[in-house]
Amino acid sequence: MLKTLIRRELLDNLMTFRFAAVLLITLLLVVANTVVLVQDYEQRLESYSDSVKRHQQDLDNSKTYSTAYLFVDRAPNPLSIFNVGLDKRLGNYIGIYHGFMPTLWDARMHGTDNPFIAFFSSIDIVFVFEVILSLMGLIFAYDAIAGERERGTLRLVLAQPIGRGQILLAKYISAMACLLVPLILSLLFALLLLTRSIPLSTADFLRIAGIVLTSFAYLSVFYLIGLLISVATRRTGTALMLAMFIWGFLILVYPNLIRATVSPGGDIQARVKTAQNQIQQVLDEYERERQKFLENEGIAGEMSEFSKALGFYHEAHVNSVTLTTYIESISVLSEIRPDFEKYVPVAKRYYNFIEPLAARTVEKAWRVRKQALEEIYVKQALTDRTLLKLSPVGIYDAATQAWAGTDLLGLRDFFEAAQRYRKVKIDYLYAKDAFSSREWFVADKGPVDWSTLPTFTFQRSDVGTNAKRALPDMFLLLICNLVLFMVIVLIFLKSEV
Amino acid sequence: MWHIAKRELYDNLNSLRFALATVLLLALMLTNAVVHLREHPVRMQKYRDAATQSLNTLTSRTDLYDLAQKGPGRLYKKPSPLRFCADGGDSLLPTLTDAASYFWSTNTSRSFWRMTYPSATPNLKNIDPDATKIDWAFVIGYVLSLIALLFTFDSVSGEREHGTLRLMLANPIPRYTVLIGKFLGAFISVNIPFVIAVLMNLLVISTSRAVHLGVNEWGRLGIIVGISLLYLCLFLALGLLVSARVKQSAVSLVILLLIWVSSVIFMPNTFASIASRFSPARSYDAFQEDRRQTRRAILEAYYTQRERTEDPSKRMLIQSEYVTEDAMQDGRLRQAYLSERIAQVSQARAITRISPVAIIQHLLEVFAGTGLERHLQFVDNVQLYDREYREFITDTERADPESPHIIGIRDGMSKKKVLPESIPTFEDTLSLSKDFNTATMDLLLLTLFVVVLLAGAYLAFVRVEV
Repeated sequence: MLKTLIRRELLDNLMTFRFAAVLLITLLLVVANTVVLVQDYEQRLESYSDSVKRHQQDLDNSKTYSTAYLFVDRAPNPLSIFNVGLDKRLGNYIGIYHGFMPTLWDARMHGTDNPFIAFFSSIDIVFVFEVILSLMGLIFAYDAIAGERERGTLRLVLAQPIGRGQILLAKYISAMACLLVPLILSLLFALLLLTRSIPLSTADFLRIAGIVLTSFAYLSVFYLIGLLISVATRRTGTALMLAMFIWGFLILVYPNLIRATVSPGGDIQARVKTAQNQIQQVLDEYERERQKFLENEGIAGEMSEFSKALGFYHEAHVNSVTLTTYIESISVLSEIRPDFEKYVPVAKRYYNFIEPLAARTVEKAWRVRKQALEEIYVKQALTDRTLLKLSPVGIYDAATQAWAGTDLLGLRDFFEAAQRYRKVKIDYLYAKDAFSSREWFVADKGPVDWSTLPTFTFQRSDVGTNAKRALPDMFLLLICNLVLFMVIVLIFLKSEV
Repeated sequence: MWHIAKRELYDNLNSLRFALATVLLLALMLTNAVVHLREHPVRMQKYRDAATQSLNTLTSRTDLYDLAQKGPGRLYKKPSPLRFCADGGDSLLPTLTDAASYFWSTNTSRSFWRMTYPSATPNLKNIDPDATKIDWAFVIGYVLSLIALLFTFDSVSGEREHGTLRLMLANPIPRYTVLIGKFLGAFISVNIPFVIAVLMNLLVISTSRAVHLGVNEWGRLGIIVGISLLYLCLFLALGLLVSARVKQSAVSLVILLLIWVSSVIFMPNTFASIASRFSPARSYDAFQEDRRQTRRAILEAYYTQRERTEDPSKRMLIQSEYVTEDAMQDGRLRQAYLSERIAQVSQARAITRISPVAIIQHLLEVFAGTGLERHLQFVDNVQLYDREYREFITDTERADPESPHIIGIRDGMSKKKVLPESIPTFEDTLSLSKDFNTATMDLLLLTLFVVVLLAGAYLAFVRVEV
């Protein structure tokens, strides 16, 4: 019996105009946007490899250890085509110094993009699905029960020896089967376009499978919302109106409205100020120790013979917005005048003392800064995301970002790798005795050899981690589905025909 | 005709969609007002502080060489009090230009100033999820257009389904009167919640002391409301057209929704991304390389010229030439790069005009004084001031008979104290006539769309089989 019902519903749905229209428009939008997205990705990839080359050149041209321009670049994520998340927005290269802790707040963008283009928000495949799939689900569902009730066929169906739950199940299964056609077809087209120019790994395919699964759950939520409306209303006209307004609210209004109404909590300025003061104290302590060293050696004063001889340049400051702590003492001398040669041992001692101290100071400041950044910026972003999750769109977006690895956590992975690489560089400098070497500040022996420095590599997190990050949101979607279905069954059981 | 309009109106007033539309529009508009009242004073304060500080630094300089070398400092864009109408992506645009001068690596002196146009990338550190600003452009462009479609999708097809269309057309009324009546009825019934929401919004904003709206602003608001009504007509006509062509109202709605989704949500961004590839600007690195080469060429020319002569006064002349040439050429390159990038965006935006929502957004931005067009006016103002400032320096220099008149070198310039009042100050003005000029194209296009769709709706309705 269930089979007959499903077959009937399936035919009913497939033969309609709305099915053809929805299929066409989904295919059109997904294909058009995928072409644009793939081009965009290729452009970003090109700019990335240019930048890597340039940074390697910059490093090779570094004359002294202290002027080593070591930058690491973030490659664009191929899955950003599915959900761009923060991948395009945040900086994509960052310097690696011992006197500076790399975070996403300090990263910069390679200068190939026209910043004005940011006007046009980029549309990714998940966004197309967000809008279209939800609309599809509602359009297919609004008259499922109300329509039959209006036409009087519901009474006929219920006169048969079938449970009401079974009728709902049949409707659900057949409609979902229909709705999957545009989803799967458009995804296949997108993958076809994608794999032609972008090589994807097996892990990427697994991630895409995760995205598809999430899309399926999302589609189902909206179908069930439509079904709920259909069960609860008497007339299709009312059901349609309600469905459209709910769609407009959930997709268009709520995500934007909630961000506008919730103002950033607490006094950010004051919080930043306190953290800045704390970090400044750490820096002051560093400066005191540095001055003490200079006095002990009898070379204090920025205008002393010593600093003139060595092209002394020293800076330690903390940024008042992102709290970036920066200690820098760059020195590059192509040669040393013979009468200044006597300062070289002192300078070696000086750099050997302050550079490790700078590294330690920055790490100390980082402990304060990390906490402040979490409290000021990260917490705000997370609260916003949680609020967005009150709409299924927010949950879907978060889950697919987690799968694609373009969410906040995925991007922080990169910056954590950069921080680890900073450690590697410091260890390398220690191993080479660089701090106490002449090459730290004098370039008369030619450029420093960097060939033995381990290269920076960053692997995106493995599929397991992606899945772990996406699972809570997928569970949420699943719970939404179950609750909605239960409510529908309950209402339908009690409804009069 | 009025009878039909009245009937439509009463029908709509009692419907669920009317109630839902009213609630939705009111909630959005009130949020918009509250957010504006919260954010605008902060923005103004920031602007005022920065502008005053910049001005104070400028007027504190009394030495002509200092003024000529350091330039006018930072110039700030005045935030628009009408930003609640259209945000225009202002947070993605720079708010200032900077007159920058550099230390030369060759000696300790500083170069002359040139205008630099920083590119704001506040988004670079933004980890918040994406969100569109709830401004009028959003409420009107997205929400109101959807509501217009929801009010008209069944106005003809629904009556045909119920059989009332036949009854109505059996009366001795011409068909166009019926259509106009339907149009007016829908127009008024969408307008009631819209106008109430707009009035509430303006009431909240104008009663607050934090935001002051002058005559100019009210005039602009009037224009904005007028444009919004035109835009509303567009979607009502579209709804009537499809409704008259299609037999079932459910099919009519599906068609309308798909048209709406693709033209309102997807078309502007997709077309813009495609169009921005046609005329890409140079990459930043290529621009820097060009700058480096040009400046190096000037520097080398200077060295060779200097070697030829030993005469100190001639050397001074050569140096002054170098200093001014370097600043001028670099300024020119920067300006050219800015225009390149703007041309790329302008072209992309021109293509997006196929979509009515892009048109309304441009129009609202122009009249609200935000967005790209506003930024271009700011840049124009800056460039005007740039010339004025340079003329001021030359004029002051010429006015001093004791000076050797060699601009670019401290010893070659007038030693007279410059009065702070005589220094020209930067004014960031907006002119309504200029705005109209930039808006003409969009206004014409919007009207054209409306006329075509209305004519289409008329033709479709005349040919309707009952």
